[in-house]
Amino acid sequence: MSVRIGVYVCECGPNIPDKIDIDKVLEDIAPLNNVAAAKRFRLLCSNDGKKYLADEIRKEKLTHLVVAACSPREHEKTFMQVCVEAGLNPYLFQMVNIREQCAWMIPDKAEATRMAAKHIRAGISRVALHGPLSKKELTVNPDVLIIGGGISGIEAALSLASKTRKVAIIERSDSLGGRTGKLSRLLLHQGTDVSVLREKIEKIEKDENISVLTGCEVTDIRGFLGNFEVRIESSGEEAVSRSIVVGAVVVATGCELWDGYDPAVYGAGNIDDVVTAAEFEDMIAAGKILLKNGKPPRSVALIHCVGRKEKGYCSKVCCLYALKFAHHLRDSRAPAEVYEFYSDLCLPEKTDQEYFDGAVKKGVHFLRTENVRVEKRNGHIVVEHGDGAGKKKTLEVDMAVLAPALVPPPGSEKLARMLNIPLDETGFFKEAHAMLDPVAAPIEGVYIAGCASGPKNINESVVQAQAASGKILSTLVPGKTLEPEVKISVINEDLCTGCQTCLSVCFYGAISFQAHKGVSAVNEAICRGCGSCVGSCPSGAISSRHFTYRQLYEEIFEALR
Amino acid sequence: MNPNILVLGAGVSGIEASLLLAGAGRTVHLVEKDMLIGGQTIKFEEVYPNLECSTCMVAPKQQAVLQSANIKVYLQSELEKLEGALGAFTARITKKARYVSLANCIGCGACYEPCPVSLNNPFEEGLSTRKAVAVPCAGALPNVPAIDPEQCLHLNGKDRNCQACKEACMFDAILFDDKDETFDLEVGAVVVATGFELQEATKFPQYAYGGGKNVYSALEFERLFASNGPTEGKLILRDGRTPQSVGIIHCVGRKEQGYCSGVCCMYAAKFSRFIKHKIPEAKVCEFHTDLCIPGKTYQKFHDQTRSLGVEFVRAESVGVAAKNGGLEVAYQNVDRGPGTFKADMVILAPAMVPRRDTPELSERLGLKQDSRGFLASRRGGLSPIETDIEGVFVVGCAQGPKDIPESVAQAEAAVGKILSLIPEETG
Repeated sequence: MSVRIGVYVCECGPNIPDKIDIDKVLEDIAPLNNVAAAKRFRLLCSNDGKKYLADEIRKEKLTHLVVAACSPREHEKTFMQVCVEAGLNPYLFQMVNIREQCAWMIPDKAEATRMAAKHIRAGISRVALHGPLSKKELTVNPDVLIIGGGISGIEAALSLASKTRKVAIIERSDSLGGRTGKLSRLLLHQGTDVSVLREKIEKIEKDENISVLTGCEVTDIRGFLGNFEVRIESSGEEAVSRSIVVGAVVVATGCELWDGYDPAVYGAGNIDDVVTAAEFEDMIAAGKILLKNGKPPRSVALIHCVGRKEKGYCSKVCCLYALKFAHHLRDSRAPAEVYEFYSDLCLPEKTDQEYFDGAVKKGVHFLRTENVRVEKRNGHIVVEHGDGAGKKKTLEVDMAVLAPALVPPPGSEKLARMLNIPLDETGFFKEAHAMLDPVAAPIEGVYIAGCASGPKNINESVVQAQAASGKILSTLVPGKTLEPEVKISVINEDLCTGCQTCLSVCFYGAISFQAHKGVSAVNEAICRGCGSCVGSCPSGAISSRHFTYRQLYEEIFEALR
Repeated sequence: MNPNILVLGAGVSGIEASLLLAGAGRTVHLVEKDMLIGGQTIKFEEVYPNLECSTCMVAPKQQAVLQSANIKVYLQSELEKLEGALGAFTARITKKARYVSLANCIGCGACYEPCPVSLNNPFEEGLSTRKAVAVPCAGALPNVPAIDPEQCLHLNGKDRNCQACKEACMFDAILFDDKDETFDLEVGAVVVATGFELQEATKFPQYAYGGGKNVYSALEFERLFASNGPTEGKLILRDGRTPQSVGIIHCVGRKEQGYCSGVCCMYAAKFSRFIKHKIPEAKVCEFHTDLCIPGKTYQKFHDQTRSLGVEFVRAESVGVAAKNGGLEVAYQNVDRGPGTFKADMVILAPAMVPRRDTPELSERLGLKQDSRGFLASRRGGLSPIETDIEGVFVVGCAQGPKDIPESVAQAEAAVGKILSLIPEETG
């Protein structure tokens, strides 16, 4: 079949003809091989222009189309749609930018004209080598697996489950609730009581679309958005194993309190009545705060920032829960003296300052300090602290409560490897984009909610769980199909030596090694067409469907001639 | 139940909610008060902590919104009244005349030069002017100007013969007889994403703001170092000199407002880095109270800023005075007592406050304001985006001060709630 390329130069109003001699350009390209039509038009992106192009495609029986106009970012999609409507495969189209890249930056008209002609000739050389790519449609499984049964996992499950979408929560401990479940009171100044959590757990237990698998862990996950195969094993003595298929995975594995601090500095574990925040929460839940000797403390030191320097980040929630402890201690019938030792007060939400002011009013002492040590001297707990001027002071207290850093829980690395998603340098899961995509992992179909991606409070965790649900509800619609990327990589099995270099550079886990054939293969549903594998292959066995070496070479060669 | 959604505000939160809802097949009515979309985020050159280009980051999303078949964008539009209930709200919208056709205009810019009227450009925080027919900045989307009817000589009657823009336009895009419109939108749910303001620095006489002095409020400084801003990113004082000594004052308005705005410690560090990068020999000193830098990445950003030689002083009672042709910052170092710092330039980090039209907006929506003036969340729940009206959600800084990732997460959360409250089957 003969190649008939149509080249259309858009005037873009005054933008282009003022700076480029369009007729000269057309004269230059019309005689080229395979160019069936070379014409100009006032404004191709207008309704008239689009109709004109569609008519031209049919009338001139074009097999390929080149539009020389503005940036592809503006109108590449527009003209691809015109191709579709005129019956031409939209990938047999090339857009050449002669506005931003010629008219708008080359002051000399003769030079701009010469460059525009060059750009267009290069586009023509390229488009002749384009292949007609076609979209695929994949049916999807709308069900969701939630890893982690804490507040984030619970909220995500309640937001997602429906008659047409089943949800499985997998929790390695033997009950739902996570860290929030161990608290006896939530932030009361926000008007929230922990019964809210119990109500949510009850709702889950009653919901027939949510299955809860406690005492279980994920041991293998393979697949992609719409089609993940998950292997689950129970962590008890009877290792029961099962497989489920889901369309999306939510990682809601939470965090834990760091216990790696130096006991010589902070005294926990080897000094009576120096406890961690979790132990103090347990005391509140049990209804009594008592020293080892059975008496209530008359003075309590709350030590903030345990591990802030060592870990290199602020864990965000400690100042607030320390205030909660302080309020609780001061509200009791025989209030203890409360001393809070902190480096910075982190009160970022609009009601936090007020909560702090309330604690001050109740007589809580706040001491800013850079270096804190908790020691036992002469049978008493002594907090040694340096004031701002560097002077060391000591304070004797009955009890000390440590607020340690929030850190990733054990097993995070293993899970990250299984899911093929990265951890950042703090060991928490890394978001797809720190600013604009905070609840997605870089792999499509995997989402992250709550403290799994970094320290945050309950409200933020709940919002993130709802956000992950929002993304899943929007993307994975029961009955609808997904269209994966078309411009993907292809491996030529004849040239592949099975070195697996491509596997090691694929960020998306889209390549697998076919041991029985001794070659690698691209999963077309996952590949995003980034081209990393193409560049990495030592045998040149991999090519990109829309960026072949020949296409690129011809385009560049023509441009530099 | 009506499956379509009203989104008020086309900043980063409104854009995210719109795109996610449109992706789910819903029709989104995106109502924006300004003549462009992008909100405050597009005013920044870079965003912390990765210091990526803010406009580059947001532009693909803006393009996607404008090119989406499911998102109907109404610019220069506001909500007059919201009535109804979940699944069946009626929103009355007023749309101001743009006087330029969004369909015909291709953004060639031929109409700007001939216009005889210059006015203060609010996008540039008053640091530069623009014509009565203009886009607010280079790269504005949509790339179509609007005419200010109060300043335009033709429209305000001062010179009915002036048609300079119309004469320069090759696309019949100037519409002098454009009219304001009022219309109703029927929707099932509403996402309020109207954003924030910074408290006006004039409220704090102790910082010597105003009167042509080199004291800048944070958003003004953002425009100063933006490469599409009034100085194309050159850090120069009002008289053209390059600053050699810069003081940055945190917590402006914190005591008065009664809360910490959460973002200023980070953007102040961003400013410090920017200044040191552009003017390595400059002295930079930040005056702060507590450092609010929570989360896994913010402390590191801050520590790195310190290692660039930026000074940090924990101070109270900070004041700025004009002295000997420059500025002097007087402060009480909390550990070391009183001190002064000579500066060529001072930057203020004011409190993030509710937009001044929040009382009216809350009334029109039927929502309450909380004790700080922000739109109030439903009490007793764990999710701050829910309000007392089922189906109406408040997200982003309209709900309270927060950074970009939290704003985006809240927008996505509202979508999550809406898609499950109003499933497509019942639409």
